Amino acid sequence: MRWIHAMSAAALVVGASAVARPAEAAPTREQYRLFRALSIDLQGRIPLPDEIAAFERPGFDLDAWIDQRLQGPAYAERLRRVYLDALRLEVGSMFNFVSNPLVLRRARLVDPDGNPAYVYYRRSQRRDRVESDLDFCLSPDETGVTITGNGQVSGTARPIDRAVWEARTVEVRPWWLYRDYRSASPSQRITAGDGSAMVLSPVAALLTNADTTPTTTVRVCREEAQTAARGAVYLSGRLTALPRTEPYPGGRVTAPPVDSAYARAHVGEMVSCTSGTGVSLSDDCGCGVGLERCMPGTSLGNDPAAFNLPDNVPLGADQPLDSRSQTQGDWSRFWWAQEAVHFLDDLFARDRDVRGLLNDRGTMVNGATAQFYRSFAGSTCCGNGTQFNYPEPTALFDPARVPADLTPHDLATWRRVDDRGPQAAGLLTTPIFLAKYGTRRARAHIVYNAFLCRQFVAENIALTPSTEPNLMVRSGCAACHATLEPLSAYFTRVSESGWTFLPAASFPVLNPACATRGGNSPNGGCTSFYDPAFGTAAQGMLRGAYGSTEHADEGPAGLARAVVDTPEFASCVAQNVSESFLGRSLTAEDQGLQETLVTALRTNGFRMRPLVRALVRADAYRNANNLASGAWREGSTP
Amino acid sequence: MKTTLQRAAAAVLFTLGCNSTPAPGAPAPAPVTPAVDAGAVAPRSTEITPTPVTAIPGHELIPQDRAPKEPPRLMPAETLIRSYISLFGGLSPQALQVRLRGATSDNLFDTWGDYLSALGVPDYGVDIPRAPQTNALMLAAFERIGVALCERAVQNDLRGAVAVTDRVLFRFELPAGARALTDEEFATRFDLLHRRVLGYPAALAPDSRVPRFRALYQGAVARHADAGARSFNGPEAGWASVCEGLVRHPEFHLY
Repeated sequence: MRWIHAMSAAALVVGASAVARPAEAAPTREQYRLFRALSIDLQGRIPLPDEIAAFERPGFDLDAWIDQRLQGPAYAERLRRVYLDALRLEVGSMFNFVSNPLVLRRARLVDPDGNPAYVYYRRSQRRDRVESDLDFCLSPDETGVTITGNGQVSGTARPIDRAVWEARTVEVRPWWLYRDYRSASPSQRITAGDGSAMVLSPVAALLTNADTTPTTTVRVCREEAQTAARGAVYLSGRLTALPRTEPYPGGRVTAPPVDSAYARAHVGEMVSCTSGTGVSLSDDCGCGVGLERCMPGTSLGNDPAAFNLPDNVPLGADQPLDSRSQTQGDWSRFWWAQEAVHFLDDLFARDRDVRGLLNDRGTMVNGATAQFYRSFAGSTCCGNGTQFNYPEPTALFDPARVPADLTPHDLATWRRVDDRGPQAAGLLTTPIFLAKYGTRRARAHIVYNAFLCRQFVAENIALTPSTEPNLMVRSGCAACHATLEPLSAYFTRVSESGWTFLPAASFPVLNPACATRGGNSPNGGCTSFYDPAFGTAAQGMLRGAYGSTEHADEGPAGLARAVVDTPEFASCVAQNVSESFLGRSLTAEDQGLQETLVTALRTNGFRMRPLVRALVRADAYRNANNLASGAWREGSTP
Repeated sequence: MKTTLQRAAAAVLFTLGCNSTPAPGAPAPAPVTPAVDAGAVAPRSTEITPTPVTAIPGHELIPQDRAPKEPPRLMPAETLIRSYISLFGGLSPQALQVRLRGATSDNLFDTWGDYLSALGVPDYGVDIPRAPQTNALMLAAFERIGVALCERAVQNDLRGAVAVTDRVLFRFELPAGARALTDEEFATRFDLLHRRVLGYPAALAPDSRVPRFRALYQGAVARHADAGARSFNGPEAGWASVCEGLVRHPEFHLY
């Protein structure tokens, strides 16, 4: 309990009732200071002259003023900052999001008329010609240039035969140029952006043809222009890699791909064209209507430039401080972060249950994130999952629940989706959270830290050499990992550095098919998902599940339930918010305040407004910057 | 320079009361001869026990400030930028940047991006946290931005033919013919700026507030008495200085 000297306590009484000053009395300096502090915290800026004038008028009702401000966007932003400061939900370019099934790179060639021309293609595209399967659609023999896998170009371009040109490529009006790209005859070509992130703004190079004329259509390899949602598994008939004893067909520099065991076993079966596996298996899969399942790029580089975006948006994406050309990977990273911003804003502005931070199955989407969930998220799935009969992802955000009418141009429109699907769990299953915290342990740790206000601190222990793989018992590790490993097990079914969900039907926690063989690791497909260190001769153990197999099956939603049900959750909410508003750490003397705030939170259905209302009326807030000895001795109200 | 032993002795004596002078009539403290070990604080003598301060003769009725001492909060960087924007015309950040950079090559302002880190804006992408306290770089950024904002406001409001009601900050008239302001005329105008920037009347500020800003104003006026046409004249320089003093005032950045 905070101790207050009797002399200053009397003054505090005055301070606490600063709101209700006598009708005709002019505000004191302390009352002005409090009003300014409230404006800074609840309006996000210093008060305007007319607001100060209103405050000075007799009868000004500060309580009503506070209540009104608690409804505003600045209040939501203020609380959002509390949690973004704790979670830091942005990723830089170190998180490399270059998914080859998505990225349309462009090659500069010479068209049949002898003019320079760009042709867009994607590296992972299946084609029915041995000369170009999983490669550029026009062979070096046809173009005069060789494009290596990493985008290096050699040779001299020559005019391409018109019949080949027309057979292998096609003109498209793509989504990044036409707002109505889904119509039969797109005509609403976009104009240059306004520098904000609210208007789709392709980089200048995407708006200009190779001959410097304005781009109205793009030429793209014919396979990429396909629009089917599903395609049949393609079998090329090549069972073994061609020897490098003679030139590859068409002058290609890489060996033509051979058919995988999965393709041989499932030839003709239909696969989703939005999964990476589908794109790698079917030559029917293209980039969809208006190429909406792909991202454009201005070069053959690994992560080519695509759109103009701000680098700095401390005041919001609608008020950027700058704007510059950024890569296609930056585009996704930027909007993932904005999803978290709008998720938090929506939760606080609508005063939803704050436990929704962890367990809300809904989220906010705009055109960019809708496009991501609809068309991009599955591109990272499923790799070796085909060995577990898992060629299509079970999405954390079911694409069928994404609003169909949101196009990539609807960047300023944020709409709530109430239910992403059974695996969704608040922020924990958003791409930005999963990208920011790439490992199971990192994910568990930040939840432990930000939502339980606890930290892993090792005791004074000695680290001794050990081969014990179980960190819950290994000497020197167990102090923290006995808690951390069971928590991280909740993320067993979400791939690390990604968002691919591993359903129990395909990936049982204990899998006899992935048993270790005579003490050796199981096959490569198994080691992608199953941890040989915890496998036995009878069964393999899903990676990360050894801390708690029950937690592994409960998933992130189970972690959310476990955390919000603890008493520490509410007190941590109160602590996070009050420390941010007070600008200091809470101490033992603030226990009374914290208990008051927890009560306000719990008795109001875990809504934040009552908590913040109680906080800004508390002495601790009102006194927050006026307890210096000098101020007290000057006779100010502390 | 005090030795370690002297410091240790002073620390022990400090526990007795406010200073080392014994109260009249009190028994003299026993000589302290701590076991000296390099850098170690001497163990407390068993003869010295904690004493309530009110038990010390002469301290019975002296009030004691034992309230927790808390530093002022630093205005969040986002709020600071928004407040700058609000103070100087409510433009968009990029439009304000264009105005701050100006058409001349005076390099008053670079870009917002150049100042964000110094202002303490967190960069979540690379895990740079919010700066919770001021530092030298931050103060330099306050200075630089404050100068830019105020000089451009003077150029817009006082140099341009802008009606008082349309001005962004200096919403008052200057005396015709560059006549010197009386103390009362200065105080009236200063109060407008004080209210706008610091949020309360200058009359409620510490007594020295108005005289000190008056002196600041007059000093700038005097130094610019013979300024050329391209420089601020006396009153313009004076109000620019007052503005800069207010937007860099600790009461502006702390709350």
